[in-house]
Amino acid sequence: MSVDWPRDILGCALNVGTVLLAAPLFEGVLRKVTARIQSRQGPPLRQPYYDLLKLLGKEDIESGELPAMQRFASRLSLAAVLAVACMVPMGFGASMGGAADAILLGYLLVLCGICTLLGGLAAGSTYSLVGISREMMTMISLEPLLAIALMIGAIHARTFSLDAIFVGSVYGTGGPPASGVIMFGVMLLSFQAFVGRVPFDIAEAETEIMEGPLVEYSGPKLALFKYARMVKLVAYSGIFVGLFVPWGSSLGFPWAPIIFWAKVLALVLAVTLVAATHARYRIDQAVRYFAGMLGVSLVAVVLASLGM
Amino acid sequence: MSIAMAERAKLEALRARFGAAIRRADLPGNGRMFVTVDPAAIREICRHVFREMGARYVISIGADDRPFSGEFLVAHNFAFDGDGVLCGLLAHLPGDRPALDSISDVVPAANWAEREFRDLVGIEPMGHRYPKRLVLPDGWPEGVHPLRKDVSWDDVPKDFDEDLEFKFDEAPDGCVVVPFGPFHPTLDEPAHFRLYVEGEMVRGCEYRGFMAHRGIEKLAESVLSYNDIPMMAERICGICGCVHSVAYVQAVEDAAGVRVPERAEYIRTIMLEMERLHSHLLWVGLACHIVGFDTLFMQSFRIREPIMWMAERMTGNRKTYALCLVGGVRWDIAPETGAALRGVLDTLEKEWRGVVDAVTGDRNIQARTRGVGVAGPDLVKDVGLVGPVARASGVAIDCRRDHPYAAYGRVAFEVITERGGDVWSRIVVRMKEVFESIGIIRQCLDKMSPGPIQARVDDELPVGRMGLSSVEAPRGEAHHFLVTGEGNRPRRWRVRAPTYQNLQGVPAMIRDQQLADMTIALGSIDPCFSCTDRMETVDVRSGLRRTWTQEDLVRLLKKGGA
Repeated sequence: MSVDWPRDILGCALNVGTVLLAAPLFEGVLRKVTARIQSRQGPPLRQPYYDLLKLLGKEDIESGELPAMQRFASRLSLAAVLAVACMVPMGFGASMGGAADAILLGYLLVLCGICTLLGGLAAGSTYSLVGISREMMTMISLEPLLAIALMIGAIHARTFSLDAIFVGSVYGTGGPPASGVIMFGVMLLSFQAFVGRVPFDIAEAETEIMEGPLVEYSGPKLALFKYARMVKLVAYSGIFVGLFVPWGSSLGFPWAPIIFWAKVLALVLAVTLVAATHARYRIDQAVRYFAGMLGVSLVAVVLASLGM
Repeated sequence: MSIAMAERAKLEALRARFGAAIRRADLPGNGRMFVTVDPAAIREICRHVFREMGARYVISIGADDRPFSGEFLVAHNFAFDGDGVLCGLLAHLPGDRPALDSISDVVPAANWAEREFRDLVGIEPMGHRYPKRLVLPDGWPEGVHPLRKDVSWDDVPKDFDEDLEFKFDEAPDGCVVVPFGPFHPTLDEPAHFRLYVEGEMVRGCEYRGFMAHRGIEKLAESVLSYNDIPMMAERICGICGCVHSVAYVQAVEDAAGVRVPERAEYIRTIMLEMERLHSHLLWVGLACHIVGFDTLFMQSFRIREPIMWMAERMTGNRKTYALCLVGGVRWDIAPETGAALRGVLDTLEKEWRGVVDAVTGDRNIQARTRGVGVAGPDLVKDVGLVGPVARASGVAIDCRRDHPYAAYGRVAFEVITERGGDVWSRIVVRMKEVFESIGIIRQCLDKMSPGPIQARVDDELPVGRMGLSSVEAPRGEAHHFLVTGEGNRPRRWRVRAPTYQNLQGVPAMIRDQQLADMTIALGSIDPCFSCTDRMETVDVRSGLRRTWTQEDLVRLLKKGGA
């Protein structure tokens, strides 16, 4: 576990750069496929790039209660999710040379959610307050699921190092991979919520509370929040792939990255399909749903501690 | 029992109960009753008609009749749906003291209508339990009543303070106020609900609407002529315009005794059902959009589009058909157009079946709509809810069957009802009604025979006659009341859109519900604010607590542009 600074910094930069470049493309795929399901033509694949450029080029309007906090929250939200991207293997093995561990990853993921809370709180409109109360309820009931998945990986690997976890360690070594399979199911069924899409886009719910925490945002700040949301989709897909379907990532260049991005694309398509065929849940219904998932994943923890 | 006998029996019952308080009765024998009563007894008579005789409240109208009789006039309209009778209870009030007992405590549905004639005609409903302004903005001076005959249609009082903020009621303890509107992505039209929210639960609300007033009734009474008005009536609403156009001409025909050729009645029926089709398709789409199911929203609109094209082919317009004149219709349906229409209906029926299957098979949509925004039969009765909202609560009222007009008496169709009273039931009712509408149009195309489409109206229409007309709009009963007048125009024309009554039920429907359910509960009555707001000559721009005045906005715009 030696730290090789030039290599690790280069690895991180590569991950961040790739994610920044690729995330809008996946958003474009999502929009295009959604449109086709809805019998529409849909925007061109490059549209999300144009959208971001347009927003970034607009006048920065300070319309909330605490402008400084709003600026900070919008920058931090993108930064946090990019930091997550640094730790996730994207076909090159995890960068940061083993320095990254599951606990840090867990905190960074929570930080992404906290940025939304900060942003909404600083904006101070009634709708954003309703939005952040929903976001908070979602976070409290949802984040433990990912934490448990990481924990099960750590139990089997007997270390918190992400290098050891992101090779499918949730399935354990020898013995029946019961806990890993259970968590695979749980994460698959709650993945939509982690990336904040229908039926779990409750905190933003445009037709109810007008985008909730984002209602006061426009221009560059909105661009950063939107960018963070797009990157989140890719980063969480990367985490999912690393945790549950890492196979093929040791094949080296060029097959490892190709296989990785193919898996991410498959996940994005699944997200699109679910989003296009569901109605939005109410927050109480969603929390009940997550609570059920939590119960199941606690069983998985017990199984993991028994070596299964 | 024939309609004429039913009318006579009702009148006898009223005479037996109230004796001399029933001053005059007019029974034309066509399902209309006009009973002039002693103003002092109006409250008790209305209570009796509403509670004991089981009538449905329709609307109350105030009119300034001073130039003709020196008096003010109030009409409380009720419907005996089972007998096919529409009944106006009239009270004449002295010109110098226009006041009468409020009926809103015994007929809660009259709440808005009484406040409206208080605002606009200056007739005081004495003892009203919530005598707050409804239509006029708070900055409008006391004592100026726009619908009085001595006020010109283009009058703006000098002391009108356009920018005065609304005075809102205090929120109850422990509740925060969530402003819903005046502009909100799901409303599409200005209306303002102040929701009192505790956590995620809505505990109550205050409504301020009437923000986009266009003075339509005043214009009809002072500027336009009988045959201009259908074109403007059509513009009351962007969705159910044909309904208002038909309802208006029927009210005139009812008052003046004009007989409409049979073919014209079929054409009116076909266009009314076309309108119901595109309205219901639009609504189901919007309901899906509100709960976040955008795929069905898009599919509904795709399926709806051929209806719009067909309407354009038939009328020259996707909407706003310019159909009616007094005594008939303006254009005919050619045989080849009828055949094309049949083709469109066949495709629609097949595709709509697919949507209905998708919606009824979706547990997700049901989770969001079952038990949400419930209106029971009691609320339907008390607030006078109409249309799919009433039918979803098991109250089988439908003007097409109960008070047949146009060609509805000659076609067979089913009145769809459900029992749940919730948003889900309203979705089911509307989805099934689409098939009934398709059936009605097909029957009309089958039964129509060639003939004239416009009756000759050579003489001037008689003056001072009253006409009532109820038309089943996609959202429920649209009711028009009309008094014929001098100068080729009506003396008084009152439009009551279905949303006028249905909106009054919303506070009860959303109380103790989740905030997230507010939009779909409100959406489920298919609110049409332009219909409801139809009638004033002023423009209100305040409404939010932190208000940008019009001058501020104009100044900002100029600064930004420079």
